[in-house]
Amino acid sequence: MNAKKKLIIIDDDPDFVSGIKSVLEKAEYNVDAAYNPKDGFQALQAGKYDLLLLDIMMGRGAEGVALARKIRKDPKLREMPVLIITGVREQIAFLFPGQAVHPNFVDVDELVEKPIEPKLLLEKVSALLKAAEEKKLQPQ
Amino acid sequence: MKQYAYYPGCSLESLAKDYQLSTKEVARALDLELKEIEDWNCCGATAYFPVDEMLAYTLVARNLAIAEKTGLTDFVAPCSACFKNAYYTNAYLKKDPDLAEHINFALEEDHLHVDGKLNVRHLIEVILEDVGLEEIKTKAVHPLKGLRVAPYYGCQLLRPRKDHENVENPRFFEELLSAIGAEPLEYSSKARCCGASLIITNRRAALEMVRILLKDAIDHEADVIATTCPMCNVNLEVYQNQVNQEFGTQYSIPVMYFTQLMGMALNIPSRRLGITKEPVPKAQVPVPS
Amino acid sequence: MAVELSFSKEIANMMYATHGNPITNCLQCGTCSGTCPAAEFMDHTPRVMIGMIGADLKDEVLASNTYWTCASCYHCTVRCPAGIDIADMMYALKRYSMWKSRYKEDLIGPDFSEGFVKMIVNSGKSFEPILATTYLPKFSASQLVQEALTATGLVLKGKMPLLPKKIKRLKNFQRMVKRIIPLGGSS
Repeated sequence: MNAKKKLIIIDDDPDFVSGIKSVLEKAEYNVDAAYNPKDGFQALQAGKYDLLLLDIMMGRGAEGVALARKIRKDPKLREMPVLIITGVREQIAFLFPGQAVHPNFVDVDELVEKPIEPKLLLEKVSALLKAAEEKKLQPQ
Repeated sequence: MKQYAYYPGCSLESLAKDYQLSTKEVARALDLELKEIEDWNCCGATAYFPVDEMLAYTLVARNLAIAEKTGLTDFVAPCSACFKNAYYTNAYLKKDPDLAEHINFALEEDHLHVDGKLNVRHLIEVILEDVGLEEIKTKAVHPLKGLRVAPYYGCQLLRPRKDHENVENPRFFEELLSAIGAEPLEYSSKARCCGASLIITNRRAALEMVRILLKDAIDHEADVIATTCPMCNVNLEVYQNQVNQEFGTQYSIPVMYFTQLMGMALNIPSRRLGITKEPVPKAQVPVPS
Repeated sequence: MAVELSFSKEIANMMYATHGNPITNCLQCGTCSGTCPAAEFMDHTPRVMIGMIGADLKDEVLASNTYWTCASCYHCTVRCPAGIDIADMMYALKRYSMWKSRYKEDLIGPDFSEGFVKMIVNSGKSFEPILATTYLPKFSASQLVQEALTATGLVLKGKMPLLPKKIKRLKNFQRMVKRIIPLGGSS
């Protein structure tokens, strides 16, 4: 079997983080967590991760969006698969009631909304990791 | 004539029309050219930060970007809350390149770009620093002799800035009032909060805060309270009746923008300053016999 | 499972951008509470609130009216000997409770903020009478009468226009908002 895949969660909600962390660890992933975008970006630069699970509403506001854009501009991090897991519709639902999280603000690989079923989470994670591997093997 | 990028803010179009009128008149008399920036939006006041601070900065940044586009160097706001929001957003844009980058990404939608390079100033600072006390004294052909004025600084004109001359006991408002011949009075509440938007969200608390300010000014025999912010002005003026009902007091004191008082001293007719009733020094009111 | 992040760190994470000192630097000196002009209307004074955060009393903090009673006068912030931006912490707590939709039912502050933000997103400007519809339902009958009298008085005095204004490039403005908050169709 391959070496364990390394994942990182950047999310400000410690309860949510500990929940999905335990799901992912049971599935044999190595999981780190950062609780604000600044620490998260530092961790991304310092360690080599195979996948990022990213929250939207953090710190001052929708900072996950800003962070995703920053990652896509960083030559070393650009290729990293990013799975956004967000509760933004719940968190500021009153602003655009009933409207979807809109898809085209930044190029992320997947976006799912909280709460997320463990089974779906694991499916998404493994699909994204697989797609990233395949992409790496393809001649540029 | 020095030109400024002028941001009136929403209140000056509605509740504080008299501030707008008197600001324009006084600026003209003092040779300050206030050029209102085009298509500006609300600065978000204090209500935006509880929802999304990034968005709060973006709203302000749009106004700063529009002002930067004019090529003028100074951004002037007459409202203390607008001033504080603009001052800090401008500073954060300079200090935090990630924030600036992301906000500029959003501003692209309106074909704008912001650098955070403006001098953000409150109207009263511009008048004091760029016109100066001597010039004001010379132009004040109708000094407000004997008028006891309580200078009310409020909060966001002074705080949270710590680079200010004296955040605990500023003197510049007193100096301005002296320059127009009025008598600035010393009272301890001059920078105590008026309650701001608590007047809506916690009426009881705000009325008590207003009561304390009115009491302090009246106890010190003020003829009028002078303000530098629409929010303060409205809380102190419009809610006097409610304070009286709530606390059984009988306060009745005029509350005016500092620009209205300046305008009077500069001999501008009251109606052009939005003044409906001129304050009269108590000492000059004849006692009914 | 044990929570790996203290509550004070969680709140600090919401205000890191202001570069104020962390709230764990609090000396519990009480300068903030002594300074605060609204302290007597708070369930817990600012000093107690910081202590509660340090003690991980999350539910009690979320049930408090303290931060919704803060008028953002920044007097505590400029006086804090530990250099904590306390007023900014109050904003962080407001945000924290808004995002979780957990606050005391009788509070007007959250509705007011929501109404304000909605109004600006819809028009680009703020306008009192429209805003009133968001908070008036929470007023008592006598407050409503007072409010109506005040509002009528303002209109009669010519202080209040009857119609709100909108900015000209509203469409661009709204698209700008959606680049910051990724909600709603990208029209």
